[in-house]
Amino acid sequence: MKKLISVLFISLLLLPFAALAQEDETEDVYRLLDPLGETVTFFCGTPEPGDEYISGDNRHFRVVQIDPAAKAARMEDLGSFALPDVAWAAETALPVSAVRRAVALYCTHSDESYEPTDGKSSIEKRGGIYDVAESLKASLEKQGVIVYYSDENHYPHDAGAYRRSRATAASLAEEGVDAIFDIHRDGIPDASQYESTVDGEDVTKVRLLVGRSNQNADANKQFAAQIKAVADKVYPGLVKDIYVGKGTYNQDLMSQAVLLEFGTHKSDKNEVLASTALMADVLNRTLYGGVTGAAGGGKTSAPKNSGGVSGIAWVIGLLVVGALVYAFAATGDRRLAFDQFKRTFREMTGGLLGGRKDGEEE
Amino acid sequence: MTVGLILLAGVSALVLFGVAQRVLDRMHLTDRAALLIAALIFLGGLLPDIRVGQVSVNLGGAAVPLGVCVWLLVKTDTRQEVVRALWGSALTAVIVFLTGRLMPAEPEQMTIDPQYLYGLAGGAVAYLLGRSRRAAFICGVLGVILADIAVAVINWQNGIETTLRLGTAGAMDTVVISGLLAVLLSELVGELLERAARANGREPSPTVETPFRKGGSRS
Repeated sequence: MKKLISVLFISLLLLPFAALAQEDETEDVYRLLDPLGETVTFFCGTPEPGDEYISGDNRHFRVVQIDPAAKAARMEDLGSFALPDVAWAAETALPVSAVRRAVALYCTHSDESYEPTDGKSSIEKRGGIYDVAESLKASLEKQGVIVYYSDENHYPHDAGAYRRSRATAASLAEEGVDAIFDIHRDGIPDASQYESTVDGEDVTKVRLLVGRSNQNADANKQFAAQIKAVADKVYPGLVKDIYVGKGTYNQDLMSQAVLLEFGTHKSDKNEVLASTALMADVLNRTLYGGVTGAAGGGKTSAPKNSGGVSGIAWVIGLLVVGALVYAFAATGDRRLAFDQFKRTFREMTGGLLGGRKDGEEE
Repeated sequence: MTVGLILLAGVSALVLFGVAQRVLDRMHLTDRAALLIAALIFLGGLLPDIRVGQVSVNLGGAAVPLGVCVWLLVKTDTRQEVVRALWGSALTAVIVFLTGRLMPAEPEQMTIDPQYLYGLAGGAVAYLLGRSRRAAFICGVLGVILADIAVAVINWQNGIETTLRLGTAGAMDTVVISGLLAVLLSELVGELLERAARANGREPSPTVETPFRKGGSRS
């Protein structure tokens, strides 16, 4: 047993080095295939079984198998994805609610840039992605939304970037914002995948990325679906798709947090900047849309996000499983483990849960 | 934001608070002290960061956990244990730094979210070096802080304007999560080893197999 645990520990210590082998895959671009083997889209990175994809035309897929040699991921077709009803989104009246409207923006990958206009795809001191974030900020502010924006640099663009940007995201979330957006650009080399024309203007599409490894996953997925529904209604062709991938992306900090990928490193930044004005309108309508201000009594017809319930179940489930594993490891006996489990909950809840065994010492 | 989402945020915070209190309680702190420190981490995390030049520090996310580390080091029985904890912290910092540099940059490509890996590394290092819950907490907390300092120093040397932010995500910061996870890992392993010793018909040695027991010679 001791040997087994020692081996497990040493393996754990070697994990970073084992991961070195994966480093070369950083710029991998995978094709996501439907059950017929047709390419549905491209994804910069390695997809994982369980990842979900909602295409521009709202087809819902789940990744089931990865073929690293062919750089392809096979997906099962889950049918049509039902976006929320946002009939109100096309109203011309912009929200004039007296309710405070505030969002936050930041850039985890500070170096991300656009080759055709910035000269390089990565600029370590200040990437072109900040221009995109600032343009989005300006557009949101024009619509009366308060924007808490951080231009903090989280360089280098490595596995620690999200750890460093976590501090930024948490600080922004403390400002009492309604939603938080991490601004990125994609890394797929084919810019045409992101090219679009909306209202006669050349713009780049925006991919919405949601992390599925946290308690807010369902809530954030619903939020992303709301954004796409509004965009499809008001500016068809603006939102490319939604990818729900393994990872947290610091979205565990807030239940309305989405990563926005504006174009790819091969996109023309001017077209990316053009899309920010449209996206600002979409975000404003999604978060505060349907509000007709004083005339509407502050009521909103924006869709409700019901992801909170599954998130609570996620948190409590994790806690219960963790406590049970620990109790069983400590006792090795189902009955004793259950007693210890109850004791733990009694201690954690100050006696509210877990009951009290007669004669048991405190 | 809907009531469900507000409740979700509340439940998440309460669970983390409960876990933090139970973990701190296992480091030879009294129930009241553990509760007080957990409260300081949570409430301190809500206070504005203290900024000096290009360094920003949060009370709950870094200052309080650091204070606990100092207190644990001061209260340690032997100098040997102090040296082990500090070496363990340095080793954990190297692992955290290398993890950042060598693992794939995108979360979807990572085997384990680094946020959790750091705590596991801290717990593993602390166990291998000292088999101590206290050392595990120190390694988990100091390891992340030292690695963050290293990244900031490298950025500054390369002329990249960046702020060294220590624990500024408050109770949700990687510093706190790493410290708690490190203790939980060493606690779990301690229990497993103790049970293995019992299964072999041996009374667990208080210095090796039972390092994590309250009142044992090791903590």
